[in-house]
Amino acid sequence: MTIQLLAFYFFAFFAVLGALLVITLRNPVHAVLSLVLTFFSVACIWMLMQAEFLALVLIVVYVGAVMVLFLFVVMMLDIKVAAAREGFIRHLPVGIGVALIMLAEMVTLIGLRAMQVAPPPNPAAMHGESNVAWIGTALYTQYLLPFEVAAMILTVGIVAAVALTLRHRVGVRHQNASQQVAAVARDRVRLVSMPAERGDPGAQP
Amino acid sequence: MITLAHYIVLGAVLFCIAVAGIFINRKNVIVLLMAIELMLLAVNINFIAFSRFFGDVAGQVFVFFILTVAAAESAIGLAILTLLFRNRRTINVAEFDDLRG
Amino acid sequence: MLAQLLLVLWTLAKVLAITLPLVIAVAMFVYWERKVIGWMHVRMGPNQVGPLGLLQAFADVVKLLIKEIVVPTNANRFLFFLAPMLALVPALAAWAVIPFSDGLVLSNINAGVLYLLAMTSMGVYGIILAGWASNSRYALLGAMRSAAQMVSYELAMGLALVCVLVLAGSLNLSRIVEAQGGGLLHWFWLPLLPMAVIYFVSGTAETNRAPFDVAEGESEIVAGFHVEYSGSAFALFFLAEYANMILVAFLASILFFGGWLSPFPSTWGPIGQGSFFWLLTKAFLLAFLFLWFRASFPRYRYDQIMRLGWKVFIPIALVWVLVAGLLKYFHIVTPGA
Repeated sequence: MTIQLLAFYFFAFFAVLGALLVITLRNPVHAVLSLVLTFFSVACIWMLMQAEFLALVLIVVYVGAVMVLFLFVVMMLDIKVAAAREGFIRHLPVGIGVALIMLAEMVTLIGLRAMQVAPPPNPAAMHGESNVAWIGTALYTQYLLPFEVAAMILTVGIVAAVALTLRHRVGVRHQNASQQVAAVARDRVRLVSMPAERGDPGAQP
Repeated sequence: MITLAHYIVLGAVLFCIAVAGIFINRKNVIVLLMAIELMLLAVNINFIAFSRFFGDVAGQVFVFFILTVAAAESAIGLAILTLLFRNRRTINVAEFDDLRG
Repeated sequence: MLAQLLLVLWTLAKVLAITLPLVIAVAMFVYWERKVIGWMHVRMGPNQVGPLGLLQAFADVVKLLIKEIVVPTNANRFLFFLAPMLALVPALAAWAVIPFSDGLVLSNINAGVLYLLAMTSMGVYGIILAGWASNSRYALLGAMRSAAQMVSYELAMGLALVCVLVLAGSLNLSRIVEAQGGGLLHWFWLPLLPMAVIYFVSGTAETNRAPFDVAEGESEIVAGFHVEYSGSAFALFFLAEYANMILVAFLASILFFGGWLSPFPSTWGPIGQGSFFWLLTKAFLLAFLFLWFRASFPRYRYDQIMRLGWKVFIPIALVWVLVAGLLKYFHIVTPGA
């Protein structure tokens, strides 16, 4: 039992535990946090496979951004948990049954014995470069077009998300920075030349 | 020694948990979205494991694309979710049935 | 197995050799902050505890540790206590890849910059959870503000890092410092001047420091996300914030100001050689900027912070990624020896 194997079981345990909590916990905030635990453990497992680029990207993108977005939405919405849990007990046996059958099928398909292969030397290191350079070279040569399409998808995603949630409420006063910068003294102050006032001698001060 | 089977079984277990999650939380959109993320994660584990054991970079490049698309998907999903909640005050899937004839 | 165990113990010793001085540095930095801000406000600053008030920070630590931790009614106890630790752990873990001098680094990994991004992006959880678990409106407001703010400024920060690694051609922090070899004018602050400014200002926003401290905002939402925390739990947040500040100062000096390299030519004898002393000096000067900001600027309004991040920094950073690429492509900036 090497330290690597111990580490694998440790992280795999927390990944599975987190996944189970995601689907069973009552409070959506707790469920999101369990999903964070799963993502983090799986990133550590990818690290064990020397896929450090994707492991760190998983943490930056998912743990650092997507799950924060989830948390943000879950905290902002006033969710009635009871209604959302309706049918939980009724569907529980079906869910567990389907999951177990699928798992059995998959493990049979995988053929555990056939897959008892030892890891070969790190393919990136065999090319004499880091994992990041290995992926980067492939990404910017062979997969350049898909890479740009992915960038387009992200752009469309931003535009769609903003367009969906943007709403103009009436009565909100926004600061218009360009208007402020463009302001000149002429628009604000009017200098008028007029003769000096002579106070009416008869008026009370 | 960690064999290929270790990683693939882990992926399968996570995938099945996500499927079970979709079955037992059919009403809760947030958990449904999270279960989808979990499924994609399970698939990614397989991709990376095969890429590592066969020495082919294509698997890891694919995971990169899946992460990108999944991030965009969850952003739009959450945007739709907030929009639904704003208009209907609920996240119960069963109540979104306006198109039923 | 024994060899592996020894390796683990040796690594633990190295971890302690980084974290203990860091914690003491935080204590002294707090003292320095109060002194500097005192001088800037024409006050004395702490001067009662120990000579020149030097022991003030330690007195504060003792005070915080013996205070009672009050848990609000209906607060989520588990998350309430988890949050300060979640804030502190990434702040300390990020130090693993900081090269203090040539070869003097705990973990010389190839994806060092990515690791740093990953760790800093996790710091936000401590703050969000603290705000949510406290079951308080002020705390939740602070958490919401900081969540959106940190995610936004991470983008500008990440793009500034992209410029650095385009020029250095590596994600390894030691390689990045070595790529700046050749003297003051070869450091990356010159070709990446706007990025250096953006990086540091984004770092100020990431650490929730004045003038971007709306997550705390004493005068509007009392103390924001940690309004309900007291005693040692509050001390952990405090430690995390200052450890993060010192980290940003170290990172800015490594990424843009040549790390451990000396600003003088190598023919000048001892002061021309690169050493830990130079990194410390640069980091100290940059950390001083944090205090200067705090003493000088009024707090930004929340929408102004968001506008600065999204509409000013990110467009400039995007353009400068292109500029950095051109500088590299036409060999105007070449990695030094």
